[in-house]
Amino acid sequence: MATTTAYQVPANLSPTAIANTSSLLRIVALALISAAAIASRLFAVINFESIIHEFDPWFNYRATKVLASEGFYAFWNWFDPTAWYPLGRVVGGTIYPGLMATSGVIFYALKAINLPVDIRNICVLLAPGFSALTAWATYMFTKEMKDESAGLLAAAFIGIVPGYISRSVAGSYDNEAIAIFLLMFTFYAWIKALKTGSAFFGTVAALFYFYMVAAWGGYAFITNMIPLHALALILMGRYSGRLYVGYSSWYAVGTLASMQVPFVGFQPVRTSEHMAALGVFGLLQIIAFAELVRSHVSSKQFRALLFASVIGLGLLGTAGIVGMTYKGWIAPWTGRFYSLWDTGYAKKYIPIIASVSEHQPTAWPSFFMDLQFLIFLFPAGVIMCFRQLRDEHVFVIIYAIVASYFAGVMVRLMLTLTPVVCVAAAIAFSTLLDTYLNPEQPEEETPSAAVPSTAAPSETSSAKKGKKAAPAPATLAELVSNATGPESTKRKTGIFGLDTRLLVILNALGMLVFFVWHCTWVTSSAYSSPSVVLASANPDGSQHIIDDFREAYYWLRQNTPEDAVVMSWWDYGYQIAGMADRPTLVDNNTWNNTHIATVGKAMSSTEEVAYPILRKHDVDYVLIIFGGLIGYSGDDINKFLWMVRIAQGVWPDEIQEPNYFTRTGEYKIDDQASQTMKDSLMYKMSYYRFAELFGGQQAVDRVRGQQVPKTGPTLDYLDEAFTSENWIVRIFQVKKEDLLGRDLKSANSFDQGKKKKRSKPSSRRRAIL
Amino acid sequence: MLLWYILTLFILPFSLAAPKDSNAIHDELVKLAKANNGVIKLDERTYDLLTSPKRTWSAAVQLTAMDAKRRCAPCKEFDPSFKEVGRSWSTVPAEERNSHFFATLDFDNGMTVFQKSAPIVHVYPAAEGPRKPANGRTAPSTYDFSFGFEAGPLAEQLSHHTPIPIPYQAPFNWSRWGVLKNKWTWAVGTVLTSLVMTSGYMFTRIRGAPWSGGNGQWIAPGYQNQFGQETQVVAMIYGLLASAFLMLTVVTPYTTSPSRQKAQVYLWSVVIFIMYSVLLSLFRVKNKGYPFKLLL
Amino acid sequence: MWAKCTGDSVLVILEPKLQKDSFSKFFSGLEEKGYELTFRSPKDVKPAVIEYDEAKFSHVILFAPESKSFAQDVTPQSLVTLLSKHTNLLIALSPRQTPFTSLAAEFSLTLPPPGTPLISHFPTRNEPATVIPVSVAPSDILSPGLSPVWFSGVPFAYQNNPLLVPILNAPAESFASDSESDLGADALVDATDKGGEGLWAGSQLGLVAGFQALGGARATWVGGVELFSDEFFQKDLPGGGKPGNEQFASDVAAWTFQESLALRIDRVEHHRVNETVPGQTYTTNDQVVFTAYISRFNPVKSTWEPYSGIEDLQLEFTMLDPHIRTALPPVRGAPGKYSVTFRAPDRHGVFKFIIDYKRKGLTHLHSSTVVPLVPPRHDGYPRFLSAAWPYYVGAISTSVGFLLFSALWLAGDDRASAKKSTKTE
Repeated sequence: MATTTAYQVPANLSPTAIANTSSLLRIVALALISAAAIASRLFAVINFESIIHEFDPWFNYRATKVLASEGFYAFWNWFDPTAWYPLGRVVGGTIYPGLMATSGVIFYALKAINLPVDIRNICVLLAPGFSALTAWATYMFTKEMKDESAGLLAAAFIGIVPGYISRSVAGSYDNEAIAIFLLMFTFYAWIKALKTGSAFFGTVAALFYFYMVAAWGGYAFITNMIPLHALALILMGRYSGRLYVGYSSWYAVGTLASMQVPFVGFQPVRTSEHMAALGVFGLLQIIAFAELVRSHVSSKQFRALLFASVIGLGLLGTAGIVGMTYKGWIAPWTGRFYSLWDTGYAKKYIPIIASVSEHQPTAWPSFFMDLQFLIFLFPAGVIMCFRQLRDEHVFVIIYAIVASYFAGVMVRLMLTLTPVVCVAAAIAFSTLLDTYLNPEQPEEETPSAAVPSTAAPSETSSAKKGKKAAPAPATLAELVSNATGPESTKRKTGIFGLDTRLLVILNALGMLVFFVWHCTWVTSSAYSSPSVVLASANPDGSQHIIDDFREAYYWLRQNTPEDAVVMSWWDYGYQIAGMADRPTLVDNNTWNNTHIATVGKAMSSTEEVAYPILRKHDVDYVLIIFGGLIGYSGDDINKFLWMVRIAQGVWPDEIQEPNYFTRTGEYKIDDQASQTMKDSLMYKMSYYRFAELFGGQQAVDRVRGQQVPKTGPTLDYLDEAFTSENWIVRIFQVKKEDLLGRDLKSANSFDQGKKKKRSKPSSRRRAIL
Repeated sequence: MLLWYILTLFILPFSLAAPKDSNAIHDELVKLAKANNGVIKLDERTYDLLTSPKRTWSAAVQLTAMDAKRRCAPCKEFDPSFKEVGRSWSTVPAEERNSHFFATLDFDNGMTVFQKSAPIVHVYPAAEGPRKPANGRTAPSTYDFSFGFEAGPLAEQLSHHTPIPIPYQAPFNWSRWGVLKNKWTWAVGTVLTSLVMTSGYMFTRIRGAPWSGGNGQWIAPGYQNQFGQETQVVAMIYGLLASAFLMLTVVTPYTTSPSRQKAQVYLWSVVIFIMYSVLLSLFRVKNKGYPFKLLL
Repeated sequence: MWAKCTGDSVLVILEPKLQKDSFSKFFSGLEEKGYELTFRSPKDVKPAVIEYDEAKFSHVILFAPESKSFAQDVTPQSLVTLLSKHTNLLIALSPRQTPFTSLAAEFSLTLPPPGTPLISHFPTRNEPATVIPVSVAPSDILSPGLSPVWFSGVPFAYQNNPLLVPILNAPAESFASDSESDLGADALVDATDKGGEGLWAGSQLGLVAGFQALGGARATWVGGVELFSDEFFQKDLPGGGKPGNEQFASDVAAWTFQESLALRIDRVEHHRVNETVPGQTYTTNDQVVFTAYISRFNPVKSTWEPYSGIEDLQLEFTMLDPHIRTALPPVRGAPGKYSVTFRAPDRHGVFKFIIDYKRKGLTHLHSSTVVPLVPPRHDGYPRFLSAAWPYYVGAISTSVGFLLFSALWLAGDDRASAKKSTKTE
């Protein structure tokens, strides 16, 4: 029974030579994967420049500068008086400092070896650097699931998959940049701890968990994934000493460590998000105790008693947690987390959360765009996990369900789905490659022997289906022949022939190549825009840079006093603080709903109502984003309804959303727009002097595709101070109180030479006769 | 249960050693039935006792092969149903209960008894006494498996031979628990969930997207938008592609005939290629700027 | 020659009808005080009031009550612009309607219909009914004990504006009418028909009113330019005796040109108690000392002198709303120094020390100093609290327990395993 091979393989290699060569190849492959991961994230730098992207990174960058220039303790105690003016922001206590600390450490380390690197470049390149580490961590994780080759595939996938690149291009200096590495490495350490039952790896998991807590609010994902995995293992009857040691060491050390982060503080013992971890920890102690007793006592009744007491204690613990939540000692789920379960909750109660574009649900094209062919390999990989169903496979399965649900609810959480998709897809893909690259051919059976054995599986499967088919019971001969054991059948699996192999392998390779093309295209075209600088194409195809944002921010920086307060919608708060260095009312750290609602109210009210609000908050300039001229769709008029909604949440009597729609319920800015809409400050500022630009022709808003009224709005309480080249950013100065004590509207009409209506003395002024 | 089984084995030799008349055998059988949740475990000798021609009782006997090396999957599947029916028979009043027995005989305990196949259920009517059938036929009849492997139809058919109908009630919780214990149930659930989630089901639910647009349009225009029908189509495509991969990796290698295997490999490769092309063309509808395509 | 508080260049826009000589006493009085007077007529283009967006004079006297046309640079709008550029205005009106009639309305003054001068038949006198001796109510602006002043011109009604400072009000028995003979006065007839409603009469009407603009500049509206004339300066009162016109005019000019009642905050200081360096930031619950130094202009010496005379000064510590509002009393023995010590609120944020002192006639005092109030540093909280003993005990006992456990475990390891191995053997 000599096995045949489909193609020739060198036979006379020593096992050590093979092992050495393959490990060398693995190292080379990992290095190449890292290089590819870093390189593909540099599109943004090459196409534009080394610049911080988007919104949140600007704050992180600013905070890092503080950290780098003033040291860690000053950073920890940093109170930022220019944010949330005049409330200020206790930055040290309200951020996850992991990202800044990482950059700071790198900065100081480079400085220590006399390599002075600009802190900005460290910030810009941090995310690509960490993506290489993520690839490595994913390799380690997948290696535990299957083997090294699957690990390499997973590393390659996550290195270039757009779902992860979208959050980690050069310049995207955000918490997620390092968080995914920490996530994967914590999971790897946890799996390792679970497999080996080593307290050391449990502690490693805890340390990386601490780093994760310090770096990203999404740490709650780990906080709930690991207990969920542990719980699932317990329910499956797979409790073991390894689980106990791994989980206990992770939980005890990790929780204590995480409480050292000021922003987290006592949350791990006081909020519902962390209760699952605590509960499973308690349950494990009870079970461990029960196991201990069980191993020493053999009486059956005692065991029954023990079983009852375990269940009773578990119920008691759950009731205790519920009761404490009810009493208010444990904070209930915060809105952000709660909105993941009750998807309508955010829109109803926390419009700020619902208003963020990355909190929107995900449509299927986004999944395909971000994951391409991995998305349909993913279920296959999950099935592969079910085939073996070792303890670590349960983890991947749970992760798959949870993350795919979350990614469906929020676009942003695609990021947490991406690693597990890469891992699962790599498992499926490498199994495919294993099967079809294996040169061994199965032994060809004689037809007589083959028929019954092929019939057997079909029989069982039809028997499972039950009622319809009449399953024929196995014959006596089969019963006897089957008893010869499974070894002989096992050698029969495999692939015949070379053409089948070639076909499948070529198909698979084609898919991989296509995936690389896809990733490159998506990365370069969709995910590498800094959003601070926009690009458009000239008619001749060359790139045209639209740099309105920086133009406007630098105008503010150069032309306004240093303490001039700028009001804008919160999206631009971090950018104003970062680039214009001026105090802002609200920013992307949306911690104070009322303050944001105040801005929303000012924007959606009439000038007369808004003016006292502006003066009370010492606002000197109002900055708005207007895309109507060049068709920039992410402008403030499109966000306006959220401002109205958020303001309505706080002042339901003064601001009502329906008033901003036309009678037919449409959101319009043309002649049919409602009066409330036309009177609102936002509308007035956006379309102030807009019609003049068209020189008598019909003015058209290119975002809304509507015609703008020919007589534009007038402003009495604000002066136009600056409008950028493409009108994307418009800045208005708030007038001071009139020096004659008039209201600014009449002062304005006086300035324009209109006669004041003659007022008679009131009748109170009677002659004293 | 094991304990009781051992106990009965202890008792058995004593009881068998004693000289037997029909009544003594009957008492023995009642005891055995009671000990085993209503189903007597037989060996060749007790089998003869149970089916003795002087029996005043009726009996349903399952012939099976439960040992793993016998690789009798149907046996394993049928066995719980039979046990369940026997258990429910043990709940009827003693008078009726003791006039009919359920018993099972394993291939390894009684090879000589077996005729040709397993599993099989023989029903022995009473050969003597008040319950002897009117037509006088005492030869065993065989349960027809075309009624199904489940306990329900089995109980229904066997009730024709028992003094009163078998009070069998489908044990909802336990059967479901069995399903829950099966990992493939979970696998299917997991995969279906992730398929549905990754094809935008939550989007249609949260946004309340319509099932399809007016005038037969079923693809919503726009990259960040979709209809309910799209979810189903996309999930189906994903599912088909995933299962094609699974067929290639899991099922095809087990095919022992080279020609059939080759056919399968070609079939699934082509399925993957075509479905992938369909998926891409669908994506190109949603994202107009997408530059790649395969077939379509 | 005295240097003035805000400058000493004065532009007098004098309409040709009015002879410069007939106001010689008033003008020479100003020149004696050190003002440099420049004259131009309303239609002259030079010298311009505002050149290159900059006010060319510190003070403008507009004695053109009847002119209807002005050069382009003198408009109601440009006068308001002047005020915003800290130029003080002294504007005379007349019963005739001029471009500046409407400007009065912007200052919250309402003028009667055109051609209705103030008339009073009391006290009996030789002069026409439009030339009225008005007794002067005492005011901080005016010298004490002034004799009644002669007035001829138009009255105005005050609207509700806190920036207005009435200086001279009409006599109770006076009224505005379009004719000297009461019977022929349409306004009177109309008003009588309505039972007196709509009649411009009584002591609530103003004749001379100051206006303290928010920027600090002052404007004074005078109902008739004759009040400043040499003739009125010398005309004897009906009961005999010199009129107060000369002194009155001088006082009004002094107030208008910010000689009298001019205050300023020289500087403010703030620091923690027992420190002298001003804090960049303060921590919540700090004891903070706030000090303001206030001076008043002395027109005689023409210098700013420390002034401790304000008793009702207040300090506010504000973030959106005042969190603390406290009296800011003068410090005895330290002229011009006002100081208060208070505990900062237990609320972090960006706070402002605000002095906002607005009194009629006085320069508005306003000062706003921004200072962040931060939470305590991480090591600034109290430590070793008795309430924390459970935690200390917990931490210590766990550490000790772990140590003991490790020691026992390590020490007992050999024997235990040895025992075990012998047993299993």
